[in-house]
Amino acid sequence: MSSTTIPTNTTVPVAGAELTDGTKRKVRDMAGCFIKRKAAKEKERYTVGEVVCMAVVALLFCVVAFPVFYALAQSFRTYSEITIDPMGLPTRISFDNYARLFQDTAFPQATLNTVIITVTTLLILVVILPMAAYGIERIGGRSSRALYLLFLAGLMIPFQVRMIPIVKTFNTIGLYSTLTSVILVHLGGAAGFGILLYCSFIKGVPVEVEEAAEVDGAGKLRTFWQVVFPMLMPVTSAFVITNSLSFWNDYFIPLVMLDSSSAGTINVAINRMMGLLTSQWELIYAGAILSLIPSVIIFAAFQRYFIKGMAVGAVKG
Amino acid sequence: MASTTATPKSAAQRSRKYMARRNKITMFLFVVPMLVVFLCMVILPSLQSLQLSFTDWDGISDTYDWVGFDNYVDMLTSGRFWNAVRNTLILGIGSAFVINLISLGMALLLDHIHHFSGFFRTIVYLPALVSAFIASTIWKYMLNYNFGAVNSMLRKAGLAGLTRDWLGDQHIVIWVLLFLICFTLGGNTTLIYLSNLQSVPQELVEAAKVDGANAWQVFRNVTWPMLAGSVTVNFTLSLIAGWAIFDQVQVLTSGGPGFVSETMAFFVYRVGFGEYRAGFGSAAAVILFVVVMISTVISNKFLRDREIQA
Repeated sequence: MSSTTIPTNTTVPVAGAELTDGTKRKVRDMAGCFIKRKAAKEKERYTVGEVVCMAVVALLFCVVAFPVFYALAQSFRTYSEITIDPMGLPTRISFDNYARLFQDTAFPQATLNTVIITVTTLLILVVILPMAAYGIERIGGRSSRALYLLFLAGLMIPFQVRMIPIVKTFNTIGLYSTLTSVILVHLGGAAGFGILLYCSFIKGVPVEVEEAAEVDGAGKLRTFWQVVFPMLMPVTSAFVITNSLSFWNDYFIPLVMLDSSSAGTINVAINRMMGLLTSQWELIYAGAILSLIPSVIIFAAFQRYFIKGMAVGAVKG
Repeated sequence: MASTTATPKSAAQRSRKYMARRNKITMFLFVVPMLVVFLCMVILPSLQSLQLSFTDWDGISDTYDWVGFDNYVDMLTSGRFWNAVRNTLILGIGSAFVINLISLGMALLLDHIHHFSGFFRTIVYLPALVSAFIASTIWKYMLNYNFGAVNSMLRKAGLAGLTRDWLGDQHIVIWVLLFLICFTLGGNTTLIYLSNLQSVPQELVEAAKVDGANAWQVFRNVTWPMLAGSVTVNFTLSLIAGWAIFDQVQVLTSGGPGFVSETMAFFVYRVGFGEYRAGFGSAAAVILFVVVMISTVISNKFLRDREIQA
């Protein structure tokens, strides 16, 4: 089926056959048989231009990633080593700084807080966002458009615009400096982009499928969760991945919403280590490296969806 | 089940309208949870900001007085505010241009790589995993005057004359900030350009080449017009992000030295929470919103028009 539906995107006529031949070909090449394979050769050859591109990309990566490599190297050194010779390399791999981070500072609690905020916010969003987007799309008519535009307006409202009244309100109702407050603010902030993303995708979901389910006696709620929601998986994964990073990495919202009565999030905790007179550089470097690990894991695990998800987001924007 | 078969035909027709309305109500109920959170967390606070901007509230006491447009007048006549506006324009527009340029360049490079393309895409994306906060924190120490890596490298290389108090010199601090904000490979922006590049039909490119176009002409006349859609998306998003730049300023300079490197976003924060002038801060927030809205509409309009032309 697939071989007939993919007509002409490469110079190789039957891409699949070429792939399955791959191992065989390698063996033959190694044996020294110089068989001319016009189609395959086109793909194998490295042109000068391509190698130059590779070199430039690799070089730029090293330049941009330098601060992180630097922090990683410094996180194994002591405070005096860092200040005496800032460009020195660690003489030994010592995890003392990491151990101290967990024993002497609020870092463990801050990590837990960050995890709670990120996970709870995402769980709630994944339930209420697709439902809302589905509702907006299926109400139809003018109210559909109005709701959509209302949510879209949220994209143009940065947190700074609404933070003073939010702090005021949370102070009044006693939620200030709780994790709940951070979660609620995140929920509101993520709505605009989420609705945009989900709505553009739901437009492509055929109504007939839902009607069939309803004829079979399923209620609206069940139809949604059992029929529509599974079809939204590509958007959901894209949404979860990009937002998990932005919640994890966020600094401004927890900085405003959490005062010293809370251990804060990782970023807030690191910020508090930057004292006015002396900063604990070695701990800050270690904390910075630790906070990167979950992001890298999330990215590595979902890399494929990441790049696809970006494409989904780009289609409509 | 049984009830549907028992319903008379006329009733079924009559109830079609009723069903449609019921359907609408059910669908609306689906929207309610998200809508309530959104209204309480985004729309209402924004309106409250507008209300507070006409008061002299200090952020703590229970009472405040109406002062009309005093906050706005004070703000528009203060040099500090205009300095923040200038910085916001430099950082917002500057970073939107530079980051889009870098991203487009990276996307074009990636588009030419056919071997290990997944690997190269990954390393281009990896720097985007480092949050603005973490990157700024590391840079803050690398740029430290006495013990920072940058100055110590310069001294070792015999270029002691080039050492600067990078974050403390009021003449260069804003440009240092711009450089650090643009110190990226683009991440998401690059991926959006790349996916658009790869959807450009190869036939068009081949046809242009056959007609004797060089690489630049192919890019200028074929690829670039085809990219119009993602240019709109990326530029608008970068601009919105640019107006709200906060983390870098807060971590690296705290708006200093003095007020030199304040941006509007930072100004709202500092005035509202640091200086106990919540009413004044709210007025700044309202102006920030107006700026974001106008620039979004203009940039979208302008770029969309270009799209149709193309």
